Amino acid sequence: MSPGTDAVQTCRMTLAPVRRRALALLHGLALAGLGAASAVSLAVHLVFLVVGFGLGVVILPPLVIRAGRPLADLARRLAAAWSRVEVARPYRPQPARPTPDAEGRYPRNGRLYRRPWVPALLDWIDWLLGDPATYRDLAWLALNPVVGTLLGGAPAALVVTGVWYAVSRAGTDWWALPLGLGAVVAGLAAAPGLVAAHGRWTRLLLRPPRDEPGRLRVWYGRLLLTLLRLLVLLGLSLLALPLAVLVALALPLGYALGAGVLLAPLIEAVRHLPELRRRLAGRWSGVEVPTPYLPRPKLPRRRPDGHYRVGDHLYRTERWAGRHLRLRWLIRDGATWRDLLWLPLDPVVGGLVLAAPPAALGYGLFGLVVPRLAALLLGADPGRTAGGWYGAVAGSPAAAIPVGLALAVLGVLTASPALRANGRWVRLLLGPTERARLALRVRRLTQTRADATEAQAAELRRIERDLHDGAQARLVAVGINLGTVEYLLDRDPQAARALLAETREAAAKALAELRDLVRGIHPPVLAERGLADAIRAFALDLPVRTQVDVELPGRAEPPIESAVYFAVSELLTNVVRHARAERATVELRYGDGRLRVAVRDDGQGGADPTRGSGLRGVERRLGTFDGVVAVDSPPGGPTTVTLEVPCVLSSPRTSTS
Amino acid sequence: MRVVLAEDLYLLRDGLSRLLTAHGFDVVAAVETGPELRDALLGLRPDVAVVDVRLPPTRTDEGLQAALAARREIPGLPVLVLSQHVEQLYARELLADGSGGVGYLLKDRVFNAEQFVDAVRRVAGGGLAMDPDVIAKLLARTRREEPMGRLTPREREVLALMAEGRSNHAIGQRLFLSASAVGKHIASIFGKLGLAPSDDDNRRVLAVLAYLNGAADA
Repeated sequence: MSPGTDAVQTCRMTLAPVRRRALALLHGLALAGLGAASAVSLAVHLVFLVVGFGLGVVILPPLVIRAGRPLADLARRLAAAWSRVEVARPYRPQPARPTPDAEGRYPRNGRLYRRPWVPALLDWIDWLLGDPATYRDLAWLALNPVVGTLLGGAPAALVVTGVWYAVSRAGTDWWALPLGLGAVVAGLAAAPGLVAAHGRWTRLLLRPPRDEPGRLRVWYGRLLLTLLRLLVLLGLSLLALPLAVLVALALPLGYALGAGVLLAPLIEAVRHLPELRRRLAGRWSGVEVPTPYLPRPKLPRRRPDGHYRVGDHLYRTERWAGRHLRLRWLIRDGATWRDLLWLPLDPVVGGLVLAAPPAALGYGLFGLVVPRLAALLLGADPGRTAGGWYGAVAGSPAAAIPVGLALAVLGVLTASPALRANGRWVRLLLGPTERARLALRVRRLTQTRADATEAQAAELRRIERDLHDGAQARLVAVGINLGTVEYLLDRDPQAARALLAETREAAAKALAELRDLVRGIHPPVLAERGLADAIRAFALDLPVRTQVDVELPGRAEPPIESAVYFAVSELLTNVVRHARAERATVELRYGDGRLRVAVRDDGQGGADPTRGSGLRGVERRLGTFDGVVAVDSPPGGPTTVTLEVPCVLSSPRTSTS
Repeated sequence: MRVVLAEDLYLLRDGLSRLLTAHGFDVVAAVETGPELRDALLGLRPDVAVVDVRLPPTRTDEGLQAALAARREIPGLPVLVLSQHVEQLYARELLADGSGGVGYLLKDRVFNAEQFVDAVRRVAGGGLAMDPDVIAKLLARTRREEPMGRLTPREREVLALMAEGRSNHAIGQRLFLSASAVGKHIASIFGKLGLAPSDDDNRRVLAVLAYLNGAADA
């Protein structure tokens, strides 16, 4: 080996660490660029998410999430290449293409689709929105503009500042040169460590989540979700403003032009927004807000003169009478005016409550702490140039960091109270007033009472008819026959004997009919054993195998037992008649002051509660007791019908079995 | 033969009492409430009890409960239960202990005095008297299930009559079959149901009912 190559070798050996550090410096600079890119991506995400969730365009959030993933992938690749930190890709595998069934339809979640793209699209949306990695990506997007940029850009910033300082002040201050050089050396020295730290930072959020989330992570996830909800609600709140302006313009204009009738569609369309807010108040803020609107009125019967009367107006056509009726219904409903009052108020009152926590957090971190840190690191002081609010408190930069942190903590602490407060605000104006609530209740009671009396009258008519044509007639026949037997006894004993046998038959038939009638009024087993055994006895007589599973700590009031018994027997009869089921189950449970019954079968499904009169009958029967019926019957089955009746159970009587 | 009678309606109690006395039974007690029935059954230990399901004071299934309780104390105590309605649920409870001497009939069956008295005698002798309504419901339920589905219609008829508690001779008369043909059908039924054949009439019927009961249980 020649001395020349040796010198080159030595030179390379001494230069190698410098090269490595310089490369790390460049990598850091690129990572800072990644930070800036994630800031842009975050902004795009926010727009798409707010618009998508806020306006119900469900395709937007998954689109932007899918489009954003390559950036996170880039961060993972860079972490592996430059920081030697392997970050596994956390995403769930893309769903397979839907496969058609034997009929060429595409089944998904209990529904059949003609074309594959609808289920494929739904799968795709679920895939993106259902992946926890998506939300970790979002968290990374929110934090990386600050953390990533600082970690990546700090060495380069030090070097640049050092060079600039040394060059610009070299003539005036003798220590400028060593200080500048020191900064350059420090920047170079810190570069590999900071790039490695950047890799670990990337791994923190972009790796696959651990199975058990830590407490900090849960807290953080909840905070992020709360903040996201606040922002979505804020977007909806602001949406109310243009609507308020529209209504404010349309109302007087409509009346002035005499086209008041045309306002009805507008007013009814506006209801969608308050209705959405009521639902979200229940789901996100935990404040249930019932819908306060009066039920849509039915058109009155046609008068003898061929007109429809609405108020004091007479209309010849159904169409115009209907339009007037609709407007009258909307305008006479206090809830309509409370909605309209709420529209301009919500952006102010509700908006302020919603905006405060994110604003405090955002301004505290990005308006005070970050610029101050940047000023300290980079030497520039934005507080002086930006009027004393950016990076400074009342013109004093020293207070920026503590006040900023305090604001951020305040924002975090007030986030979920603000969400709840917003729910209460929604209830204050959009919930039914006590009067409206009572009016709705009275209306419901009137309806169910009418149903109950109607059902009762029909039941009595049926019993009267059955007795009159059945048992009563047969007993008359028995009496007549006995008279004849008495007459024949001496004259023709043979005929008398035959007639007696016939009479006995008639008496037996009368008994059988009475038995069926009694079963229809109040089944004997229900009287003797109560609800559970009555349903068991009924299930035993069915041709479909039916399992009855009852867990009741006591007995309900007799009228409720009877209503539930007949409801369940109607449902089971439907199963036998229509479902083509192999098996059925009945489950009775009691909890939270409600009796719950679930009737399931493995039949063909497709039961439509609006069509079958049987289900309507069950609904009416239970309605008297404020009970409700829910039907889940996708085509292809299985079918589950759930009944719920509020009731009190008496203490259990002594067990019979 | 000593009989305890439990029926809360005076007219029916009186009628039944007269009917049984007329056919040579000795009605040792005719009671009208559940507690009275319990005392009579345990105190008098009759040869057979004729019991209405629904009795005072609760007017629920007190008669049935009293009869079941007494049969737990005195295994095999013959009990014929009468009711305005028949339920598989109650039939299963009566048959659950697997011992004989059980009857469960609609009150209508009393109309045919000879058949009714015949049923009381069969139950007193440790046999069975199930109402045809109960049998029909049990068979309807088990029609589609293995191994009941393998029985021919004729075999099902024979099985139903056996379950009512009829002898080979009576079955042959009802179905217009010779005694040997009935015997063949019964052997075939036992073969298909996997039951070992036995000479004892009563045990065969019990085996069939135990099977029906088991089928309803599954």
